[in-house]
Amino acid sequence: MKRSDSHQPHSNCLALFEKLSEYIDRELDAPTCKDIEAHIRDCKPCQVCMGTLKQTIELCKHLEHRSVPETFHRKLKDAISDLTEKHPG
Amino acid sequence: MSKTLEKNKRNDKDIQLIQAINAGRQDLFYQLVERYEKSLYNFGMRMCDNPSDTEDMVQDTFLNVFKYLKGFRYETKFKNWLYRVATSACLKKKRRSKFAPDRELSIDEFLPSDESAITTELPRWASQPLDRLLNEELGGVIQQALLDLPEKYRLVVVLRDVEGFNTQETAEILGLTPANIKVRLHRARLFLRDALKVYYETE
Repeated sequence: MKRSDSHQPHSNCLALFEKLSEYIDRELDAPTCKDIEAHIRDCKPCQVCMGTLKQTIELCKHLEHRSVPETFHRKLKDAISDLTEKHPG
Repeated sequence: MSKTLEKNKRNDKDIQLIQAINAGRQDLFYQLVERYEKSLYNFGMRMCDNPSDTEDMVQDTFLNVFKYLKGFRYETKFKNWLYRVATSACLKKKRRSKFAPDRELSIDEFLPSDESAITTELPRWASQPLDRLLNEELGGVIQQALLDLPEKYRLVVVLRDVEGFNTQETAEILGLTPANIKVRLHRARLFLRDALKVYYETE
């Protein structure tokens, strides 16, 4: 993320920053993707920004799914049995 | 039946089971429960972080689904409808629990605060293979960061990135526009990214 002065990030970087998720999710049109790719090729800070965001998403996608506790599994099964027996159709 | 409804019916793997249940085979309802019990339990734990609230939410969801299944009209996939019911059960639970306060996240708060915060080198954690990174401790860090997110952002990122729904499906589940989902998702991801940065930088 380049800065054009000591306070404001470069406007191209800002525009990219707002669209990063949509770019990663492939939800942008082809011309916008091309613009982003052209910018990012030469902008190290934006490459870092993209890399860290992509990895964050990947980590979320691969979080471990825990098993349902056995006691709850049985309790739920019993509750559903009660229900379906009371309303057999 | 409209084309959309027909398409939904064609693409929904649960449809045959639902049709059988609605035709009088209530005894098959537990098969539907078994299909989604684990994913709903995990969704609840991400949203509530409390086994007791999660269990209540999962049970209430299935009881409501049983009650209203006859009225399911295939306007969306069954799974999306199930998560809509579950989200509503989560929100009811949440009102009685202690959670991160509701507030708007602004995109500006995720911009580098000054020149020194701009990095040109990818940190190690962002380039390592996932299996080298993912462990119980990191899972706990992400879970805590999710809980620190205001709920409206947490719901979106959990549905999109953890549960794997696409933008349109998430919009249907939450009754929001796809544009709204995209805005919330991006801010939620930036929030989580900052939490990961802090974790790795202070390790």
